[in-house]
Amino acid sequence: MTKIVTHKEGALDKYYIPALIVGLKVTLKQFYKTLFLGQSTTINYPEERREYSQRFRGEHFISVDPQKTENCTACYLCQTVCPADCITIVAGERPEDANPYGVKKEKRPVSFDIDALRCCFCGFCEEACPKDAIKLSRNYELATLNRETAVYDLDHLKREVKGRG
Amino acid sequence: MTLFDWSALALKILFVLGISFGMVPQLVWFERRGAAWMQARVGPNRVGIFGLMQPLADVIKLLSKESFIPAAASRFYYQLAPAISAIAPVAAMAAIPFGSFLIIGEHKVPLQIAQLDMGILAVLAFAGLEVYPIMLAGWASNNKYSMLGALRGSSQMVSYEIALGLALVSMLLIYGTLDLNTMVSYQDQSLLGFLPRWGVFLNPLACLIFLIAIFAETNRLPFDLPEGESELVAGYHLEYGAGKFALFFFAEYVAMMMASALYITIFFGGYALIPGTGWILNLFSTMLSPDMFQNLLALAQVASFIFKVGCMMFFFVWVRWTLPRFRYDQLMHLGWKLLFPIALVNLMAVALIIAWIGV
Amino acid sequence: MTTSEAPAKPKLTIDGQAVEFQPGDTIMKAAERARMDGTIPRFCYHPGLPVAGTCRMCTVEVEKAPKLMTACSTPAADGMVVLTQSDRVRKSRSGVMEFLLANHPLDCPVCDQAGECSLQDYNYEYGPSKSHFVEDKRVWKEATTKRLSDKLTLNMNRCIHCERCVRFTEDVTKTHELLMDNRAWRKELTTALDEGLFNDYQGNVADICPVGAITFNDFRFHKRVWFLKEKTGICDGCAKGCSIYADEEKDTVYRYRARFNKDVNDHWICDEGRVSFHTYQQADRIVQPLLTAGSTLNATSWETLVPWFTNELKKARRVLILIGTDASSEEAATIAQVLPSFSSADFVVRSWNGTGDGVRTSADDAPLDHLLRRRDQTSNTRGIEGLGIKPWNEAQDQNFDLAIYFRSGRATLPPSMAAKEIAWGVFSLAEAQRFAAVLPGLSTLEKFGTYTNCDQITQSFETVVKGLGGSASVRKILDGMKLKSNTPVREVAGDTI
Repeated sequence: MTKIVTHKEGALDKYYIPALIVGLKVTLKQFYKTLFLGQSTTINYPEERREYSQRFRGEHFISVDPQKTENCTACYLCQTVCPADCITIVAGERPEDANPYGVKKEKRPVSFDIDALRCCFCGFCEEACPKDAIKLSRNYELATLNRETAVYDLDHLKREVKGRG
Repeated sequence: MTLFDWSALALKILFVLGISFGMVPQLVWFERRGAAWMQARVGPNRVGIFGLMQPLADVIKLLSKESFIPAAASRFYYQLAPAISAIAPVAAMAAIPFGSFLIIGEHKVPLQIAQLDMGILAVLAFAGLEVYPIMLAGWASNNKYSMLGALRGSSQMVSYEIALGLALVSMLLIYGTLDLNTMVSYQDQSLLGFLPRWGVFLNPLACLIFLIAIFAETNRLPFDLPEGESELVAGYHLEYGAGKFALFFFAEYVAMMMASALYITIFFGGYALIPGTGWILNLFSTMLSPDMFQNLLALAQVASFIFKVGCMMFFFVWVRWTLPRFRYDQLMHLGWKLLFPIALVNLMAVALIIAWIGV
Repeated sequence: MTTSEAPAKPKLTIDGQAVEFQPGDTIMKAAERARMDGTIPRFCYHPGLPVAGTCRMCTVEVEKAPKLMTACSTPAADGMVVLTQSDRVRKSRSGVMEFLLANHPLDCPVCDQAGECSLQDYNYEYGPSKSHFVEDKRVWKEATTKRLSDKLTLNMNRCIHCERCVRFTEDVTKTHELLMDNRAWRKELTTALDEGLFNDYQGNVADICPVGAITFNDFRFHKRVWFLKEKTGICDGCAKGCSIYADEEKDTVYRYRARFNKDVNDHWICDEGRVSFHTYQQADRIVQPLLTAGSTLNATSWETLVPWFTNELKKARRVLILIGTDASSEEAATIAQVLPSFSSADFVVRSWNGTGDGVRTSADDAPLDHLLRRRDQTSNTRGIEGLGIKPWNEAQDQNFDLAIYFRSGRATLPPSMAAKEIAWGVFSLAEAQRFAAVLPGLSTLEKFGTYTNCDQITQSFETVVKGLGGSASVRKILDGMKLKSNTPVREVAGDTI
């Protein structure tokens, strides 16, 4: 049930002054707290960094096995599920010699591009991946100097990421 | 006038200009850091120690930017507006005394650029000029936002000048003079034995009305409707960039300083010493010659004047980051339906009391 | 015999619905006729292949029969009552699925068949949700990625031993290249000869494979099937005109599949036709108007080329219009009728084929094998002949000052016919070098029209993809010429060609 609360304007409210003094008191208190007690919420970014949750979804990477072969089998499930249409895969045959487990990985991504400018970091690709290959790391520093470097290619995605970064 | 007079005048002008020009970057710095502190932030702290060089960096940036004029703008008035806006408050400063006088040799040097018998009127006249740059800038920019900002600004300033004037008149009745020096010496007495005889204690209502009016006159929050970002982008100076914008920006702070100086001169004893500090000076009275003591006193007066202005500036910043912007109809309601009648009643009451007890 | 005296057709009941059938039909066949076969799953059964009855997936319950019967091999009888979805049937199918999946690798993400896989579909519908098998799955080390030929790749792990492929090579191509080695769980698909498959219909093996065991190399790993849009079309690779599905995504065709057409190609298409769409998607296909400038061809615009073309027609005195037999009937008729109206020159309309070592008319055409392939590699020789256009005779048809050669990408380049030649249609950059201008036209995939095949069957086809680049239809170019030409268009009677 909704409860309707009405505030009746008294004479004091009408002339602003008491409310004004209350407001001035609030800001002065905060002024004192920040300046002399150091209670500021600011994080001095490059020197201090916010610790994000383990579940934070940042820059993508593709997990690799000990032989540095990507776990991805170019199944296109991430590309299919991607709501932003930012994943572009070209699949191909894996060469015999680069096939450490023989039967396990006959198909491989020849190219695997993620357009980070389109990506909305929903994590659906991670969820769809049957091989746990594509993952989102906790790296949130994604700024680049041009659009080309914002498209992550396979080499970039296969970089070493410890844990979730 | 002798060479001494000329050089003394030049030095005084330099002093006032130096203070007002030099204070602006510090004020901007304080405005930004004070805002941050009131909002539990840190504010600019990268450039120089405590970020004190930040305004300097801003000034360098503004002055080195391309200075352009919109194609459809009225070129002459477009360029005239920022000039007037910077000149008017500085000129008004000339009539405000910032100390009593120095004695150098046999010369008596008053610490005031222009000693005018009707100084308050000169200050008001120059302050009244401040409505022109807003109107000129808004019209000359040939931009709808600028135009609307200028309309708001001019009508707001004209409206509040009435309340301001009435409050002032009530004070003039009490002081019985237009000379600012005389007003200060009137206030440099004590009231009922424990209070300084400041205008604020003699007529607190006029003090409040005057305070509200100067907020409106200087277009400061909560009355900064001429540049209301949410609806007018930047208001009358929307089309200004680089050095011309810097002039507007500078003028805003100089106007604040000028208004503060006028306000404390009328209501807070001007350059009169801060109560309770006189005895420190008296310690030196026996050590120094009367002339030197007078010089020391003048310096102390300048210091307390600057201190008072500083407090006033803090108040400006404090209010700005406390109150939200008024709606335009609220602004007009406050100006015409509250301040104006109250100021009128106040004036009547003061006049009656003075006629009755005869000050 | 009149209809009233005809004996009542035999009937059986499938899931409570009476269905007529023809004597000799199996239950599956009768269900197919009634379009009720959707409820009967199958792996080994294929309508184009002989019945094997090995997979046991199509079992149905027949009243009064003690056991479940396979729908594919049980003859239908009058008054038979068949249940395709009873509990017994579903339980049986669930068991079959569990055994099939006992050794199936479940590598659907890697498998190209995923999305059109019978095993996937039937497992969703009938399969058990979990398996009793805890043992390791059977893995074929060598046959994981084995080349059956340069066109086919086998992944034996995925095979479910339906033997459709073996029966295809035995009964359709009659080449007998594939056979099953060993028995039981070691049963392995191998080729009889070391060189692997050699027939010309290998793509069909990948098509009929119900799982992803055999894949066609040309399509393997190129696209996931769920991205593709299935569009119908006609293969223009030879005079047969097989019905196909052209699967495209974003105006790029990725593969052809055979489309059942009893009168033309049954369930099959040849490999050459299956990859023929690549011709139209090659990088060197001309898709922008070209105009000669000195000795080289330079890219130009239609706005420049169309007035130039009209002007050339007006200047010429004797013009040869050579129409490739791969043009659709509509295009050939339009060009032959409308083009002469732009000029007062002498027009001669001839056809050109040139494929298959010099085929000129449909009389030169002959089947290359017992199935589909023809000597004539163009799609509409009969249709062009039907319009009354005679083949070009080098000895008689001479002395032209302008020749216009129109083709759709299949007919060969004729020898030089006139001092100035204009190419119109689908050409590669290498082919176009000797022409004064190229008007890029549409390929079969990009237009609609009609082809008449070698057996006089006329089939129409629809647009599959958008025309590449600046290529334009014949109609659009001629409309443009009419708009640009200042002189009124001369009326030409239809019978002058």
